[in-house]
Amino acid sequence: MEYRSQKIAYWYFAAALPLFALQILLGLYLAFSYTWTVPQSIVDAFSFATARAMHTNLLVLWMLLGFMGGTYYIVPEETKSEIYSEKLAWFQLIALLATGVAALVGFFFGWTQGRPLLEIPSPLDFVVVVGALIFLFNVAMTMIKANRWTAIQGTLLGGLVFLALLYLFGMPFYKNLVIDWYYWWWVIHLWVEGAWELVTAAIFAFILMKITGVERQVVEKWLYVEIGLFLFTGIAGTGHHYYWIGAPRYWLWIGGIFSALEPLPILLMLLDTMNHVKERKAKILNPLTWTYAVGCAIYHMIGAGVFGFLHTLPQINYYTHGSQVTVSHGHLAFFGAYALLNLMTFYYAMPKLKGIEVYDDSRGKYGFWVMSIAMMLMGLFFGVAGVLQSYVERAMGMGFMTAQSYMRLWMGAVFFVGLAFLGGLLTTVTDLLTIRPAKARV
Amino acid sequence: MTKKIAFWIFLLGTISSSVVFLAATWDTQRQVAVLSNADKLSDRVVAGKRAFQKYNCNDCHTILGFGAYYAPDLTRVFQRIGEEGIRFRIKDPEKAFANSWRKMPDLRVTDAETADMIEFFRWVTEINNNDWPPQDSRKRLSRGEQAMVASVGVTPGAAVFQSKGCMNCHSLHGTGGTFGPALDTVGRRLSVERIEHYVRDPKGVDPGAMMPPQKELTDRELEEVAKFLSSLK
Ligand code: HEC
Ligand code: HEM
Ligand code: HEM
Ligand SMILES: [Fe+2]
Repeated sequence: MEYRSQKIAYWYFAAALPLFALQILLGLYLAFSYTWTVPQSIVDAFSFATARAMHTNLLVLWMLLGFMGGTYYIVPEETKSEIYSEKLAWFQLIALLATGVAALVGFFFGWTQGRPLLEIPSPLDFVVVVGALIFLFNVAMTMIKANRWTAIQGTLLGGLVFLALLYLFGMPFYKNLVIDWYYWWWVIHLWVEGAWELVTAAIFAFILMKITGVERQVVEKWLYVEIGLFLFTGIAGTGHHYYWIGAPRYWLWIGGIFSALEPLPILLMLLDTMNHVKERKAKILNPLTWTYAVGCAIYHMIGAGVFGFLHTLPQINYYTHGSQVTVSHGHLAFFGAYALLNLMTFYYAMPKLKGIEVYDDSRGKYGFWVMSIAMMLMGLFFGVAGVLQSYVERAMGMGFMTAQSYMRLWMGAVFFVGLAFLGGLLTTVTDLLTIRPAKARV
Repeated sequence: MTKKIAFWIFLLGTISSSVVFLAATWDTQRQVAVLSNADKLSDRVVAGKRAFQKYNCNDCHTILGFGAYYAPDLTRVFQRIGEEGIRFRIKDPEKAFANSWRKMPDLRVTDAETADMIEFFRWVTEINNNDWPPQDSRKRLSRGEQAMVASVGVTPGAAVFQSKGCMNCHSLHGTGGTFGPALDTVGRRLSVERIEHYVRDPKGVDPGAMMPPQKELTDRELEEVAKFLSSLK
């Protein structure tokens, strides 16, 4: 830690971690409900729908906290100055957490906008927007005052502004269901395959540059190419969600072609990471941080690149659309690209924020491997269930519940590897919150 | 490649993709009215959409394939089970899904809201969305429907079975309700007379029967549906 105001990042990370754990508990309830019968009285009181709203909103909440914390950590070092206002950063953290808790409690009592992933009711949406504006103002002011622009800063700020703007499209009530879904994807797709990729690419480039000691010129050059490709493929690639919503037929072409190219920037990022690691100029101080970096690059490629590509062409998507195949990809991609990225940031920054140069990674290692393997298996099990569903329900035309009974075994398997995932996660959370210096090496 | 060239790649990539995307968005906005029959988008339909959101149905069910994958897709539900079928399931899910291993909550939806949602589903069913989902495609009938269509020539009982509410509780090849037993091969067990008797007075045949007597069926309808069912072997 070189700047006092970086310290605020620690609290963003510390707030994110328990929310991640809570997200997983709810995920287990979802997988349980898929496999075993939940009695009517419990379903009436706390249904799958409520739990799913919590599972996904917690996911977004902890990841946004992670991105914001990451930003507050990086910006001082990049601009060589303190954050514009620490008070605002604190205020915004508390406001976001309070909104999140209010939303979760609200879901429990049926207060919802009723649109998947965007369940947060409109009044709270406005609080979110105000919080986001404060955050952007704080970050932008820091950069403007310092006036030491770098490509990393520009990408980070650009990604965050883009992210906030897109959120606005998810707020109105749309009368026409087709239009509703059209703009729903401006939030969901353009987030995960646009704005979030920019933020991620910037954070990743920063950490890679720091740990490998590769020159900024080289890192930033590739950063431009990556984000260029991300946006080139990702923006028009939104069309892969417009095949079956009642939009014109040409979306099958636009969506199919552009989205089929989406794995390219991810592949580039992977190759680029491997190169930097090979040509490192610094020695490996904290092996676990490196493991996370390489792991994230590979997993990002598998979850988003490979599993995304598999069902992105209309000919295949016709049968897999809205099935467990989607869930398989959703989990592998979110975990590989964004959960691992955030955890890498936490492992990079949290020890430093506590003044620890070399940390003890004996527990953290287990956390990484258990989570990564459990999630890979979970993705595969969801995937098998999804292929069964596509075949039995969609191709053969048997009833929905008939297909579900064939998938039951695999959803049960998801539940059990989910328990293992929880074990790995709790290890990781404890490790991060109580991180210790490594014992001197003999 | 220099950093400057890299920057130009970024700029051109972003701009070209945005131009394609925004142009197509503009055109889509223009065409959606026709594709979605926006002229039939009445206040009732909109009220139905609001109710659909109010009860968060979409976090269990998909519609147009989006949402949660826990329960049947509702894009073509109107075509699949009709007005009465939808009403029955929303009003009394506990009964409708009593024998299912997956439950739908009783959300205490009012009658007016249910009626609005039915209008909403009626409108959604007609959206021209490249014939998705495949299992409800009119071109590719589901196996349950094939069985019925194959029999319609032989007996109009199939139409009675589908339209008079039997499928709220019974299924054929996995399509239909689960409150009552599946009837895929009922003809192996029961004769025409036995079926007629049972449908009119279930408790008279089996004192423990939970099926309500079907009093609304005319004699002719009863005869046809019994003939149809007894042919399922
Ligand atoms: C907690 C999850 C859940 C919620 C919330 C929910 N449902 Fe369901 N619904 C189900 C399940 C599960 C089934 C299928 C059960 C079965 O067939 O065994 C179902 C079945 C149905 C069916 C029959 C579909 C068919 O093709 O047979 C309709 C119609 C329906 N629900 C409408 C609604 C509406 C309208 C709402 C909102 C007011 C709603 N549901 C909310 C879980 C849910
Ligand atoms: C890190 C990046 C990504 C994340 C986090 C991600 C996440 C998701 C999620 C959560 C969904 C489901 C949304 C819903 O319907 O509720 C989804 C759908 C989809 N994704 Fe991704 N995705 C990513 C990248 C990609 C890429 C690169 C591709 C293509 C090459 C892709 C292709 C698809 C397709 C085709 C669907 C629609 C599935 C359907 O029709 O049901 N995704 N994605
Ligand atoms: C024990 C671990 C977990 C289990 C058992 C689990 C289970 C589930 C289940 C059953 C669903 C509902 C799918 C549906 O709508 O039918 C779901 C949704 C979702 N979960 Fe998880 N989950 C777990 C962990 C995670 C993690 C770690 C992430 C992200 C990093 C995640 C991200 C998501 C997303 C994005 C959705 C929405 C998916 C979509 O719309 O396609 N989950 N989860
Ligand atoms: Fe997408």
